[in-house]
Amino acid sequence: MPAVVTFSHVSKRYQLGLARTSVTGLAKGWLRAAWRGGLPQAVDGSYWALKDVSFELQRGQSLALLGPNGAGKSTILKLLARITQPTSGALEVAGRLAALIELGAGFHPDLTGRENVYLNGMLLGLRRQEIEARFDEIVAFSELEPFIDTPIKRYSSGMTVRLGFAVASCLEPEILLVDEVLAVGDAAFRQKCVRRIKALLDGGTSLIFVSHDMGLVKAVCDTAIYLEAGTIQHAGPVADVIETYNTALDRRRAERVERPGDDGGAAEGVLEITGVAVLDEAGHPDGHLSADRPAEVRVRYVAYRGIGPAHVIVRLQRSDGVSCCVVRTVADGAPLNIEAGPGTVSVVFEPLQLYGGTYYAVVWVTDADGASGIARATSEWFEVKNRTAGLDAGDAVFEPARRWTHHKDVGR
Amino acid sequence: MSNRGPRGVHLADVTWAWTVRTLKARYQQASLGWLWAIIQPVATVAIFTVVFTRFVRVDTGSVPYLLFSYTAVAPWALLASALPDMASSLVTNLNLVTKIYFPREALPVAAFAARTVDFAISVVLLLGLVLFYGITPSWRWLVYLPVVFAIQSMLILGVGVGAAALNVRFRDVDPVMKLALQIWFYASPVLYPVSAVPQEWQWLYFANPMAGVIEGYRDVLLSGRAPGWYLATAAVTSLVTFVIGYGHFKRVEGRFADII
Repeated sequence: MPAVVTFSHVSKRYQLGLARTSVTGLAKGWLRAAWRGGLPQAVDGSYWALKDVSFELQRGQSLALLGPNGAGKSTILKLLARITQPTSGALEVAGRLAALIELGAGFHPDLTGRENVYLNGMLLGLRRQEIEARFDEIVAFSELEPFIDTPIKRYSSGMTVRLGFAVASCLEPEILLVDEVLAVGDAAFRQKCVRRIKALLDGGTSLIFVSHDMGLVKAVCDTAIYLEAGTIQHAGPVADVIETYNTALDRRRAERVERPGDDGGAAEGVLEITGVAVLDEAGHPDGHLSADRPAEVRVRYVAYRGIGPAHVIVRLQRSDGVSCCVVRTVADGAPLNIEAGPGTVSVVFEPLQLYGGTYYAVVWVTDADGASGIARATSEWFEVKNRTAGLDAGDAVFEPARRWTHHKDVGR
Repeated sequence: MSNRGPRGVHLADVTWAWTVRTLKARYQQASLGWLWAIIQPVATVAIFTVVFTRFVRVDTGSVPYLLFSYTAVAPWALLASALPDMASSLVTNLNLVTKIYFPREALPVAAFAARTVDFAISVVLLLGLVLFYGITPSWRWLVYLPVVFAIQSMLILGVGVGAAALNVRFRDVDPVMKLALQIWFYASPVLYPVSAVPQEWQWLYFANPMAGVIEGYRDVLLSGRAPGWYLATAAVTSLVTFVIGYGHFKRVEGRFADII
């Protein structure tokens, strides 16, 4: 199978001192160097954003890039999009590439949505007639028809990302790059995007995806690369790599708990939710639940110092954002006292009683008076099956335990 | 590195789209709209005409000073307005350069193209003036005017595209450009005729391609003459400028996003 993207030993170095400068500044540097007898040196040194990275992406394959900020994910996307060039090594891109890298990139704020669609399409390599042919589809997908002749600067960030995704995905790219941007859209649009991405994948498009939302990553990607400090730590099937990545994150958090005086800890909050899992009655986190069976939402956290009394709120939300139920430790008389270190809070619904569909859980930890949030996290998506399989279609959220009766009225 | 898909971005399309965008942005909010394209050169010519026919007399032969000067001011205005626009075209569009790939020269080239629209409007006025002063149209106009314009465009593109690339790296391109334009203006025959330059210095004088371009416009338009040897000099120097400017741009364009 031919590779559409090939990275072979790609390294990228950024020169820190190489900012915009003036001719006099440059002349001073040369003079000073000449005085000392030598060539001017890089002022502030340099750093390697990527070091010897090699991988391949096949046609129709979808690859997730995982890693903390500054690991090199964005550099890979920028190299692919030809925005920047590698310092050494070679990369090959065979196919038309559409990049949804940053919110509103390629959009001009003063131009209307319509004008921007054309400009953006051309920047992505389409001819005017080709854009014309796809224009209606783009507008329909973005659901921005009433605003298409409004300047982009009046759009909300959600509207901008909708238009951006619509343009990029309607170009029928052979390679699609998607960065964090989808986090901006609402849940319903996000799901629409995921459906579109899956349809593109089925049609042979290859995908490179960057997200911190592991549920989303699992939903769309089959392979993943975990990067750290510009080098590949682990590459392979998406589930394996996510596990490696989470283990590494846990280890780092544990180190932080042992050294609570670390100023990095203070900056990032006193408590971090490290995982929200939705489990079936057997404790399997496979994301398939039944309406008539128990389900558990398990929240793992790490507190970097003692917090004392706190509340946990769990909300189950349908994929389109409809809130289906909210439960609170405080309302249920389940007091919570958080000490420094890791811990787990769990709530069991017996039975789950959600109607068939796709849902996710949102979790908040707040302080004792519930006034200020300490941490928030969402679970991966999970599927709920109705008690009677095959009847999952419908616009309902609740499937109560029930009993039917029928008898013929007599005596009238 | 072969990092190019089977289908690249079309330079002409992007340049066109960006030109339209630039023009819209420039004239949408101005109440006098495209009239600004001629107000500037007309005002300049009015001042020159008063100064150089009433205060200081400049000998322009049989050609009225107003016509003499407008024939030079119109093409000079194209150069003087296009170059600063082109020089700043990359740094004022950071969000595009650092976030999306497209042929980078589209930005400075579009800045130039947008100014040629102004130039076209002022050429219409120029032709009106020429006819008004009773000069008979010549077939040479059709042959030579496009040639002179092509040489001028090559010159502007070379300097402007090169300056745009330099501006990414060096902040003092703007003041240098202002100063250079000032000197260049007096080194070109805008206010005075070439005949005012001593004969023995003329070979050096025409090393400035803009001198050849302006003299070319005057010879063809006002006298119906074919341009002389000086136009060949202008063509060569403009071509060299273009090759150097564009070559520099292509050599450093891969690093734009890293520096800006």
